Amino acid sequence: MKRSLAAVTALVLALTGCSSGDDADESGPISLSLAGWSLATTPEFQKLADGFKTAHPDIAVELKEYDAKNYDTQMIADLAAGKAPDVYVQKNLKNFYTYQDGKQLLDVSDVAAKLGSEVGGLSGYQVDGKTWAIPYRADSWVLFYNKALFDKAGVKHPDGSWTWTEYAATAKELTTKLKAKGDKALGTYQHTWQSTAQGPALAQTAGASLDSGDFGFLKPYYETALDLQAAGAQVGLGDATTNSLTYQAQFGKQSTGMLIMGSWYIATLLSQQGTGDADTFEWGIAPMPQLTKATTGTSAKPVTFGDPTGLGINPKISERKIQAAKDFLAYAAGPDAAKALAGIGATPADTASAADTIFALKGVPTDELSKFTFTNHDTKPENPVSKNTAPLQNILNDLHTAVLSGSKPIDAAITEAQDRAKNEVLK
Amino acid sequence: MTTTVAATRRRRGRVVARNTALGWAFLLPNFAGFTLLTLVPVGLLFYYAFTEWNVFGGATWTGLDNFEQLVGDKSFWTALGNTVYYAAFHIPLTLVVSLGLALLLNRKLRGVAFFRTVAFFPYITSIVAIAQIWNMLLSPGFGPVNEVLRFIGVANPPGWTSSADWSMPAVIVVSTWRDMGYYMLLFLAGLQTIPKQLHEAAMVDGASAWDRFRAVTLPGLRPTTFFVTVLLTINSFKVFDIILVMTDGGPGQSTLVLSQYIFQKGFEENQFGYASAVSIVLFALCFVVTVIQFIVNKRGSQ
Repeated sequence: MKRSLAAVTALVLALTGCSSGDDADESGPISLSLAGWSLATTPEFQKLADGFKTAHPDIAVELKEYDAKNYDTQMIADLAAGKAPDVYVQKNLKNFYTYQDGKQLLDVSDVAAKLGSEVGGLSGYQVDGKTWAIPYRADSWVLFYNKALFDKAGVKHPDGSWTWTEYAATAKELTTKLKAKGDKALGTYQHTWQSTAQGPALAQTAGASLDSGDFGFLKPYYETALDLQAAGAQVGLGDATTNSLTYQAQFGKQSTGMLIMGSWYIATLLSQQGTGDADTFEWGIAPMPQLTKATTGTSAKPVTFGDPTGLGINPKISERKIQAAKDFLAYAAGPDAAKALAGIGATPADTASAADTIFALKGVPTDELSKFTFTNHDTKPENPVSKNTAPLQNILNDLHTAVLSGSKPIDAAITEAQDRAKNEVLK
Repeated sequence: MTTTVAATRRRRGRVVARNTALGWAFLLPNFAGFTLLTLVPVGLLFYYAFTEWNVFGGATWTGLDNFEQLVGDKSFWTALGNTVYYAAFHIPLTLVVSLGLALLLNRKLRGVAFFRTVAFFPYITSIVAIAQIWNMLLSPGFGPVNEVLRFIGVANPPGWTSSADWSMPAVIVVSTWRDMGYYMLLFLAGLQTIPKQLHEAAMVDGASAWDRFRAVTLPGLRPTTFFVTVLLTINSFKVFDIILVMTDGGPGQSTLVLSQYIFQKGFEENQFGYASAVSIVLFALCFVVTVIQFIVNKRGSQ
């Protein structure tokens, strides 16, 4: 009964979705389908497909595009309907639990066993001693800054010694001095996402954890963000959401001197500067501002956050394709793919093989701090793997919009979020 | 004699059977789609509401657990409150505005077809485009609406969709603007059915325009008004798209409505059992309110 109900629901989901049918033919050349998003602006999927094709000319890899914002929702629907691609991406760790616990991932421990120790982020995908996905990218959040705007305003470039206090002070100084020069650009831009405030808070505060249900650690980070909004050194959340601002345009079109963003933006910025979607200007990356002085400076390891991006295999894949899919995962995490990904500015899981490639690219900053930032970081997961993570992050997203829109003071919002967490999730 | 009666009866029986089959044949394409895409999932909903199900694999029967959780779930009550808030303003507002528009555009006017089209336009425009444009218009810092408000002397214009107090009014205004054209069309059709003679007779009796509206137009529109009210009520309670694209339930939970809460619990947090339980509450709400409207309407027409 239960099974037939699930089957009917799957059928309904399949009928309402509109995907091309999977190839059920049991002979002929092997063709793997691979999920991706925003293919026009995210070249990495095509890079992986092309690179794999060079090594395995008899296996074709076809891309299936998903919407970047609703990737997980669409993927879950497709998986339930049996219409998902053979290999699909774990975009972040927030929904990994759902896929793994829902038995939507094939055990790939044998692939993991053959990988070198230089592949970062693997532990995030290990449950009960088995590995369920293979990381191919390991992004970390950093501070992007526009060297041209800093020079125009006559403000000293970041030097890696910043805590959030210096960051906020510089953002304000930059705003004022740029205004004096007749430039409308603001000091910094923290995008509308909850990650921009909550990601560093969770990573940098000692003992902070989502599952504890104690969210007091968020307070100093929101105070900084509110202070920057009030001072006019950062676009207010309301203005950013109502005008659908994109961080790519904010930084790329030089509307902001600084941007807190994941290292994936390096690839986008390079490609947009090439196509003209972004202005051409000198930029650099610096470590995330730190909570305390203890982790600042180039002799320490700055603490930041980021989820690995991994590839998993759909258990509904046909028997004869499994080996090809596993080969693809091994390729994606390996040194060849690392170089290919670095070639477009992406941060591969294997950073050791990639640093030279990425800094040899045209347009990538070659200053010492940028190099230091790319290779030195203590990256904590943004979404610790737990069944509570998705609902807790939704509660914290409500806190984020309530606080930054000025609808609720931070203390009241934290109390409310804690009550909701206790009431709705951590029962 | 008896044989002819039997023959006639048989022939009539055959005709009835054929007509029934023909009727079903005409119904079938629509009904098959409806059954597969609506009726079966809705039926399943009543099963899933009593289970725990994360979309993959089978559902586990949990009895009334979901409903017990519902009673103590503050977010659910917030969503219910917001839904009622939205409906309480959106229904009367849209009713009045669309009736007003219909009366205005029901006269012999040069270019009346053009104006009718203009009023209907918001309804056929993509909801995403509507949300984008209105969000820009209502943008707190640089939006034209607040620029005008500041120009006429409002020192602190509201933050609209970026303020917890004003987000719901903003959504209500935009959704009234969007829906008015459609209900105007229904009212226009209703107005055509009111005999002209009644208006003429009332005029001869010396009734003013207002009297004629109250004594002739409104009673004449009664069936249309009832139909529009029922439609509006159901649509208001299950409002989803405009909220999702305009505010996504925010800031905080200030515009979180039931159907969005269902979406969040189901498709974002994969608690399909719990989401189904909330859906049943929404269904019950629509059902009860509609039944009450039917009873009231029946009493009124007697």
